[in-house]
Amino acid sequence: MKLFLLVLKNIRRNLLRSVLTGLGTMVLVVVVIMVWSILWFLDEQTKEKTSNIKAIVTERWQMPSRMPLSYAPELRAGAARKPEHVRPLDSMTWQFYVGSTEPNRFGRETALFIVGTQPEKVLTMFDDLDTLPPDSPDRQRLEKAIQAMKTNRQALLIGRERMEAINKRVGERLKVYGMSLRGVDLEFEIVGVFPEGRWNNLAVMDWEYYNAAIDAYKRRPGVRPHPMTERSLSIVWLKTPDTRSFTAVASQIAASPSFTNPQVKTETLASGTAAFLEAFRDLIWGMRYFLMPAAVVTLCLVIANAISLSVRERRKEFAVLKVLGFRPAHILGLVLGEAILLGVVSGLLSAAGVFVLINVVFGGLKFPIGFFGTFYIPVRAIWWGLGVGAATALIGSLAPAWIACRVRVAEIFARVG
Amino acid sequence: MTDIFLRNLGWITAVLVLTTVGLLLLARIPLRYNIRNLRVRWIPTTLTALAFTAVIALLTVMLAFVSGMVRLTQMTGHPGNVLIIDESSNDEAFSNIAASDVGDLVNLPGLVREGGRSWVSMETYLVVNQLLPHARAGRPNRRFLQIRGVDDVRMTALVHELGLQPGGDWFSSAGVREIVGPNGQTITAIEAVLGEGIAREMARDRSPEELAQAKSPETLLPGDIFFLGDRTWYVCGLLQSAGTTFDSEVWVKRSLAASIFGKNTYTTVVARTPDAKTAKQLCDYINTQYKKAAVRALLEKEYFTSLQETNQQLLVAISFVAVILAVGGVFGVMNTMFAAVSQRTADIGVLRLLGFSRWQILGSFLLESLLIALVGGVLGCALGSLSHGWTANSIVSSGQGGGKFVVLRLVVDAGTLAAGMTLALAMGAVGGLAPAWRATRLRPLEALT
Repeated sequence: MKLFLLVLKNIRRNLLRSVLTGLGTMVLVVVVIMVWSILWFLDEQTKEKTSNIKAIVTERWQMPSRMPLSYAPELRAGAARKPEHVRPLDSMTWQFYVGSTEPNRFGRETALFIVGTQPEKVLTMFDDLDTLPPDSPDRQRLEKAIQAMKTNRQALLIGRERMEAINKRVGERLKVYGMSLRGVDLEFEIVGVFPEGRWNNLAVMDWEYYNAAIDAYKRRPGVRPHPMTERSLSIVWLKTPDTRSFTAVASQIAASPSFTNPQVKTETLASGTAAFLEAFRDLIWGMRYFLMPAAVVTLCLVIANAISLSVRERRKEFAVLKVLGFRPAHILGLVLGEAILLGVVSGLLSAAGVFVLINVVFGGLKFPIGFFGTFYIPVRAIWWGLGVGAATALIGSLAPAWIACRVRVAEIFARVG
Repeated sequence: MTDIFLRNLGWITAVLVLTTVGLLLLARIPLRYNIRNLRVRWIPTTLTALAFTAVIALLTVMLAFVSGMVRLTQMTGHPGNVLIIDESSNDEAFSNIAASDVGDLVNLPGLVREGGRSWVSMETYLVVNQLLPHARAGRPNRRFLQIRGVDDVRMTALVHELGLQPGGDWFSSAGVREIVGPNGQTITAIEAVLGEGIAREMARDRSPEELAQAKSPETLLPGDIFFLGDRTWYVCGLLQSAGTTFDSEVWVKRSLAASIFGKNTYTTVVARTPDAKTAKQLCDYINTQYKKAAVRALLEKEYFTSLQETNQQLLVAISFVAVILAVGGVFGVMNTMFAAVSQRTADIGVLRLLGFSRWQILGSFLLESLLIALVGGVLGCALGSLSHGWTANSIVSSGQGGGKFVVLRLVVDAGTLAAGMTLALAMGAVGGLAPAWRATRLRPLEALT
């Protein structure tokens, strides 16, 4: 306890240096936490699960995937044809429609990326939304919007960021001019907004409305349909209870004679995500093995510098302490304690600050990697901050603390004399 | 903000360098006084300079990555080329032009013609999945591969101004050849011409047996084979495509790609005109008057320039990280300089009594801080420069869907080094200012007591 009080006193003694070192630690911990949060999220997304597995069925060879809509019913059933075949727990289809709120302009303020799907699946199949607690306000708002989608075919559920970008509000109507399918223009009424998060830039419409619009477009006199109107199905999502069921469903689909032109492939969401992120492999590698270590090394150097300055100025004091009976281990502990306390407090404050700042004030960290656009700082980052602060402080202060505990009393007092 | 910084990088560097030079010239306190002090306090000096080194080296490598991507998009495309895609698409990855619509495009006005043939390349660009049964540990078991199916490979090469590396050949008009398989059986393999970058990338995921028969462990070479879409592919040539997005593509006979991957439409028609002006006129004609097919035209150069959205996003992220790291470094140098001031209080008092002004004291301490920054910056730039020429995978895109997977080379150019040195000197200046200011506030007699 006495040593701890001494540590506190010493930190307060050169307040300017402690504050500067603390601030330096805080800003560098911010970098580490932000990078770590991104990497942690990506690792989580690409980690294979053993239960409640989401699978995606897409065209086997090509990207973007384009399958005939006629594939949908059989794929949603996991190509189960016999009673002994395994059926997925849940399923949904995705059809992509890209449009603009202005007929001849396609940009950030006008673009809309809309998924045509079964509205009720938003609550059971969409990542993050399927785990919303039943009594959460977000869930209740979503349920209300989905009810509206069931009665109003032109209903549109949209991400907040996109809605703000196109300058619309819930309840307003809008016309979207087809860019992915010229001539297929759709009218919508915004009935709800996605909770803050990964769906910020997406919109969802009723697939039946979209398919009815494509049919109407094909029937229009004088229209030569776009070559891809027959292949409007992009992804079929399946949910299986475990790895065994997933493997069985994937085999059923692979063995089905219905999916030959084009062929399809079934993979877990984690596997699909990993393949997609492969394009960013070197960027992620750079973040993991270059950016993070560089930030940690800089942090260690800043701390080492501050502690070595402190040790240099206090050599006489350490000599006096030795005369008073302090053992080298005590002095070592004193110097290390000062550094670690400073590191822990700064790291903790930094982590808590960045958590609030990024998640609450900025609404997430905007860093587009593939289809992930916004990253959030997880609660566990508080511990990362603490750990990084403590570890870098320990590493940075080891050498100065060693020098401090090796101070020779006779040498110091000889100089003083 | 980043744009403003980069646009004015020259000015900022000039101001910082001039400040340093000005301090050196105007300071009456000899420079060797500062150097001696830095040497005496070598531990904090070294630690601070090393912190600068780490930050600047990191910035240099990150900027080299972006420079590599920018150069890639800038070097691809010909000013006289017009890219024609389906009117519904903003990228060739999503384009679908019916076969019946492309035939008439060779008769467009203003095209370069030679021997009665228009310089028009008919292409189908596809991104396909290549299964990787021998992927390295921890890596996905498939990759996205960019295939460009072309009707006439020699015409395509002419339009894109790409040649073949020595020892290779274009694929035959059939697009296939008979080869002897590993068990002595005859296989009909699909002929392909590969970009240099993707050839190196694909060489990494081969089985030990394939490697044993490979011509080089580093890259696929003419005569090598690979597997894609349940078929065996034969490498007949490598493109001289370094520094362009074509470096990451596999070229193949279009009809074969169509049948294997089930894409029967064209995605892109690239038409060559004599110059940029004619290309612009042709673009306008297609976009306003051409009604025979639902297509739109873009200048090829502009199309590739539009793929710089990713670069911009990365640049913003890099600038953000660099600024935060720099702030950390600033606190480090502040610590060093504040300690220097407090240890040399008596020196400052003597200097003041000898007639040196407050400004000269300020200049002297600022110079010391800038010297640390200079050393750290130079070391950081030198360390970061080692990344010049490294290859990396990435994506370039317009941010509105589509884009291209690319293999790029990191480029450390003068701009990158200038940015590194500017940041280092700025850190030194900002970090040194407050301690130097404190030094000027000391009263001579009080400082000596």
